[in-house]
Amino acid sequence: MDDQRSRAESFLKNRKGIEKMAEIRQIAIYGKGGIGKSTTTQNLTAGLVELGKKVMVVGCDPKADSTRLLLGGLAQKTVLDTIRDEGEDIELDKIMREGFGGTRCVESGGPEPGVGCAGRGIITSINMLENLGAYTDDLDYVFYDVLGDVVCGGFAMPIREGKAKEIYIVASGEMMALYAANNIAKGIQRYARTGGVRLGGIICNSRNVDRELDLLRAFAKELGTQLLYFVPRDNIVQRAEINKKTVIEYKPDSSQAQEYRNLAQAVIDNTKFDIPTPMTQERLEEILMEFGLMADDYNI
Amino acid sequence: MSGIANAEVEIRDRRLKSIISFQGKASELQEYSEQLKKPDKDRCFSQCSDCAQGCAATVCYNVRGAAVVVHSPMGCFANTPQIHEQIKNSAAGRGVEAFKAQIICGNISEKETIYGGLKKLREAIETAQERFHPSAVFIQSSCAAGIVGDDIESLADEMAQELGIPIIPVFCEGFKSKIWSSGFDAAYHGLLRKVVRKPEKKQEDLVNIFNFLGSDTFTPILKKLGLRPNYLVPLADIDTIARMSEAACSTQICETLGTYIVDVLEKEYGVPKIHAPAPYGIDWTDQWYREVARVTGRSEMAEQLIRDEHERIRPELEELKKDLSGKKVYIYAGDSYAHNMASLVTDLGMEICGITTLHHDMRTDGKDVKKSTLNEMIRVAGDVENFTVCNKQPYEVIKLIRRTSPDFMIVRHMNMTILGGKLGIPCLLEGEINISAGYDGLLLMGRRIRDLLKAKGILSTLKEYNTFPYTDWWMEQEEEYI
Repeated sequence: MDDQRSRAESFLKNRKGIEKMAEIRQIAIYGKGGIGKSTTTQNLTAGLVELGKKVMVVGCDPKADSTRLLLGGLAQKTVLDTIRDEGEDIELDKIMREGFGGTRCVESGGPEPGVGCAGRGIITSINMLENLGAYTDDLDYVFYDVLGDVVCGGFAMPIREGKAKEIYIVASGEMMALYAANNIAKGIQRYARTGGVRLGGIICNSRNVDRELDLLRAFAKELGTQLLYFVPRDNIVQRAEINKKTVIEYKPDSSQAQEYRNLAQAVIDNTKFDIPTPMTQERLEEILMEFGLMADDYNI
Repeated sequence: MSGIANAEVEIRDRRLKSIISFQGKASELQEYSEQLKKPDKDRCFSQCSDCAQGCAATVCYNVRGAAVVVHSPMGCFANTPQIHEQIKNSAAGRGVEAFKAQIICGNISEKETIYGGLKKLREAIETAQERFHPSAVFIQSSCAAGIVGDDIESLADEMAQELGIPIIPVFCEGFKSKIWSSGFDAAYHGLLRKVVRKPEKKQEDLVNIFNFLGSDTFTPILKKLGLRPNYLVPLADIDTIARMSEAACSTQICETLGTYIVDVLEKEYGVPKIHAPAPYGIDWTDQWYREVARVTGRSEMAEQLIRDEHERIRPELEELKKDLSGKKVYIYAGDSYAHNMASLVTDLGMEICGITTLHHDMRTDGKDVKKSTLNEMIRVAGDVENFTVCNKQPYEVIKLIRRTSPDFMIVRHMNMTILGGKLGIPCLLEGEINISAGYDGLLLMGRRIRDLLKAKGILSTLKEYNTFPYTDWWMEQEEEYI
């Protein structure tokens, strides 16, 4: 009987947690594979933490490297590995570790490459986080760092009803990055029709391509959104990564650290949330042409 | 090109352009089939359905000495326990020793849908090996395994090497096809790829009979030509299955059941298929005997046999016709088998007031559509005005049957007897198919129907007390399906 009561209490507590979730700003970060989503998310998180915000980062990638810089290495046992090894009756502290500045870090994890279904894994682990009451009242932000393109329903889990309402797409001036961003916008548009999910903007992780800023502005405009922030390219990011740190922790006085602080402030201040208007492949190529990306004047 | 090199056989929806909805005349459906054109209206609402895994199971579960690993969540496996009783009863009808089905379900859970199910599948196969020492292991795939993309084929090959027995993947995931008979093909495809061998010798008097768990009625039928039946696949052992390529020819009790395997046997192993409808009703049995005799070099025996047999059955047939002539029958069965039944009742002088088949193969493997069993049925029974294709939907069937008010129904599946009972209509359950084959099968069918019609009184009482959940609005709609 006592057991039953305690289970009922725990259920009610968790229900309360879910209801409160509406007040937390839940943000999903999407973008082409290798574009720098994890790096950007973690540096942005560090910037928010410096400003006294409470942040949870949920890595939604089987590689489980979304919290490496906050934790100082791949120190996190993933939700799915924990469930596999210890069964479903687990406590929150088994799957959540505290990182830089009190950030709460979770990695959903997933199967080995080439087997099983990583998308299904994300669905299971996010459900598990909800059931364990991970979304506490004191959180200001939850970030979902999602693998590459939205390849299947599982990778759209973070933007389904009741979870992330805000999305940022990380992109650069490279064609494939913009192609992926446009594709992701199609997924967002689908979920926006029925739910409250909105695109907060594009974050440019610069690759130093020609006229990148102009191109990204034009692309964002065409997509019915804004270029939220332009993060310049700086080798210090690589060095910080090798040292398993965010730039803000590694070299707090560097100009790049300030860029990430500015990005954090831009996210805090952002009030522009739109349903994107993805473009046709032809239109996308026209824009690229217009900004010289496809011009045939390359000289060695 | 039979596509036997591929791990999976193409589903019937694409291979045979099979359909699950039609309403019109039999001749119209034949016209559509000849033009390979789909009827205009598709069903968009289903009240119930079935799964290809069930059809695959009717092949795999009943192989003597083999084990089956069902690589699925437990729910897909839920209707399995009845198989023991079926094997026991049908072995008695076949006159062979009964055996226990050897089936294990791996019970795929959430964990396997994330990490992949091959570890669990391996454990299940190892358990089957330890527990049963089988002569072969079938692996039945499932929706969950198919979506996750478990590489069952590679594991099967690896474990076949390890265990030294055939490991046979059967790709019968339910979501792939609207036509659950695709499951038959999936199971046969597995056998053709992993078990059936090139013939070492030919057995000139052996005839492959593709059937279900039917009784041994083909021994007397074939004995008249000096031939022997090789019943496949249920109740056969792996060695018999491996040597099916040695037979003189292949035939089937129902074209929907055997269309794929008899075609591949002909193309890959030179076992001729019988180009005649199954031996149900006088005309079809005549045709079948002639064709079997021709292929096995016994043509001179056939004509005499047919004359003698017609003479032998005539007196009783005349008696039966006196009682049954003009009775109205509705036939509800799988594609092709319903055509068999129409051929039978025509010989008993009955009127066919409607036919429903569960699906329709717009063509069959490697055969001229003009020779389809549907066309053969129209030839012997005449056109059928009320001809429908419907995959079991009670909300439609009730309307169809009420509209035609039959004296009785012939049904192939148990659920329909209950529905018929509620409508006050006696139903002949044609669960055992082999007994209706040949000239004696016709007489037996006549006797069974005569007995059945005596049950009308009790069923009309049942009808009085039954109400269906459908609104008057729906029952008054002209359209048969949504």
